[in-house]
Amino acid sequence: MRKKIFHSIFTVALVVLLASIGIATSFLYDHFNNSQQVQLKEELRIVTDTVNNIGIEYLENFNSSVFRFTVVDADGTVIYDTQVNADEMENHADREEIIEAFESGEGSSVRNSSTLTEKTFYEAVLLENGNVLRASANQITVGALVIGMLPAIFVIIFIAVIVAFFLSLTMAKQVTKPITNLDLEHPVDNVAYEELAPILTKLHKQHKQIKKQTKSIRRKSEEFDQIVGSINEGLVLLDEHAMVLSMNQAAKKIFGVNKDVKGDDFLLYDRTSKTSKAICDALEGKHSEYTEERNGSVYQFTVNAIESSGKVLGVIILVFDVTDHAFAERNRQEFTANVTHELKTPLQSIIGSAELLETGLVKEEDKNKFIGNIRKEAIRLVTLINDIIRLSQLDENHKSATETVDLMTVVNEVVEVLDSAASKKNVALNVEGESCTIFGVKQYIYEIIYNLCDNAIRYNVDGGKVTIKISNKSGSPEISVIDTGIGIAPEHHNRIFERFYRVDKSHSKETGGTGLGLSIVKHAVQYHKAKVSLDSEVGRGTTVVIKF
Amino acid sequence: MRSRFDEQLVLLNKKMIEMGAQCEELIALVADSLLNSDIESAKKAKSQGHEIDRMEREIESICLKLLLQQQPVARDLRVISAALKMITDMERIGDQAEDIAEIIPFLNGKTGAEFDDFKLMAEATCKMVTDSIDAYVKQDIELAKAVLEHDDVVDDAFGRMKDILIKMISEKKADGEYAVDLLMIAKYFERIGDHATNIAEWVEFSVTGVHKGA
Repeated sequence: MRKKIFHSIFTVALVVLLASIGIATSFLYDHFNNSQQVQLKEELRIVTDTVNNIGIEYLENFNSSVFRFTVVDADGTVIYDTQVNADEMENHADREEIIEAFESGEGSSVRNSSTLTEKTFYEAVLLENGNVLRASANQITVGALVIGMLPAIFVIIFIAVIVAFFLSLTMAKQVTKPITNLDLEHPVDNVAYEELAPILTKLHKQHKQIKKQTKSIRRKSEEFDQIVGSINEGLVLLDEHAMVLSMNQAAKKIFGVNKDVKGDDFLLYDRTSKTSKAICDALEGKHSEYTEERNGSVYQFTVNAIESSGKVLGVIILVFDVTDHAFAERNRQEFTANVTHELKTPLQSIIGSAELLETGLVKEEDKNKFIGNIRKEAIRLVTLINDIIRLSQLDENHKSATETVDLMTVVNEVVEVLDSAASKKNVALNVEGESCTIFGVKQYIYEIIYNLCDNAIRYNVDGGKVTIKISNKSGSPEISVIDTGIGIAPEHHNRIFERFYRVDKSHSKETGGTGLGLSIVKHAVQYHKAKVSLDSEVGRGTTVVIKF
Repeated sequence: MRSRFDEQLVLLNKKMIEMGAQCEELIALVADSLLNSDIESAKKAKSQGHEIDRMEREIESICLKLLLQQQPVARDLRVISAALKMITDMERIGDQAEDIAEIIPFLNGKTGAEFDDFKLMAEATCKMVTDSIDAYVKQDIELAKAVLEHDDVVDDAFGRMKDILIKMISEKKADGEYAVDLLMIAKYFERIGDHATNIAEWVEFSVTGVHKGA
């Protein structure tokens, strides 16, 4: 801006300066020329009169540095000259002014000198004696005049530069001040040049538009963040250079990051060759899926390309926690193995006994023992199958008829059934507490209490004790089964509610039981939305508390 | 020119992490197949070792190109020279893991896992390698220092392991070949631990400009 103003000021100054010098010079020069010519003519007239009267001798006393007089006779020979010896001068017959004077009595001409810096004016008059008198005067030419003026011109140009510089500085400031002071946040509130008004209005409109768009984009991105942030699966978006665009909270937890990761290379957070390869593949548009174990959990990675019109824009990585799934898978496999084993064992025993009876290898007196064996094993099989049926009923979450159940009544029923088993093992059964009613399925509650008491008796010591306590503290009914039995080591606490899980790995028949009892308890408790808690110590006994 | 330089530095970092991850996975694979006597997975070690060698050459050429064409100074120079040193250590880790893998078939189903110190060495070495690579990835000096300290655990375990094996041989309790194999594996683990320590030292150097050995 300033440069431009400087240039224009300086150019204007220079042009004006040169033009005025040119015009003034030409006018003045003409004027001087004319006046000199007039003066020369006047001088010549006076001198001519005098020479006509006195004769040529007058010129001998004539002394002038400005004017020079020459007398030429009819054949052009110089008779006299006021500045140079006449004998040394050449013939003047061919000079323009002389010729003119001989012809018409008067003549004049202008000639440049050889150096071009001067020019000479000539005026000639025919004297009465037939000679010609010529007056001449020198004057400098325009060129010489201009050259003479050059130093002065330079000084003026120099001054013009300085003046233009300062003037442009202040002018630029003044001109640009309203522009630089524009409040671009509120374009229409400005009082500036009216030429700027359309731009400012346009700016204002665009401002509003941008604000609106930013707001909607922000809202969308917030929505996206909210949705992505709240899902349990890890979600990572990468751009086409595998730089992280976004990583949700779940993913941060999985990859162990706790800072903002936007713009970082994903390699920093997961450098396993499986992931690197999957990302490489995804960038080529290929889909990949794999499972990996991280910090004790099992994750399933799904890596996909984000494509738009055939071009890969980035990569999306979804990480599912499949620990439970993997765990359930293991449980299912174990269950199948267990259930077949448990079903097969009594059958093998039955088949064995039956074969022995068939082949007649059994002595007559032992026959009853073998038949009893078959019956016992068959009963065991039926019990097992009944347990499995009950479990699967609970699994299917059948809505059974709920009713008001008195816990004390159920406990008494159970005690009645188990009394003989208890006395066989020499275990004392005690019931404490008072009657307390809950709303539930009687059959399931019976199962819960029966299985807990059955276990308490089965895994008790000779002369042990089982206490069944019912309490109703501030409206939350609670039933505890406390035994003085062999207890359960802590490492089994988590698993005893699994199907067929036995603390005693030999699946010994000695204690009996199907291995499904506690599993049934767990499911029945869950059905009632109750909570079961276990407290046990090896050698001291076990306490199971169920809170309804 | 500069932006190209930055791009190449980013590429170098990427390749370094990839190579580190390869080492990490190789040593984990070898330790796993050793302790579980899994000869099949031990056989995979060879091809992975080759991959590490290939990566070493690739990174080396990137580093040399950067040094020659860009003439880096200060931090960049430190990063590149440290990378050159680190890949040598990584390559050695790969080679020694491969050497362990070669011994596994000759153990005849034995694993050495019956010695707590041997198991400890295998696990501690894996952790050291992982941590040193982690320290590089995160440019974490604290973690690098932790690796340096962890080296003592491996060294001590090696000392104890050696004593146990000497005692066993002198008392003629053990099969000599088995004992020597275990000793060699233990030595390889100890060396791998040293290489991990070197990597950690170079990480420290590339961040702070001060090398432990200096």
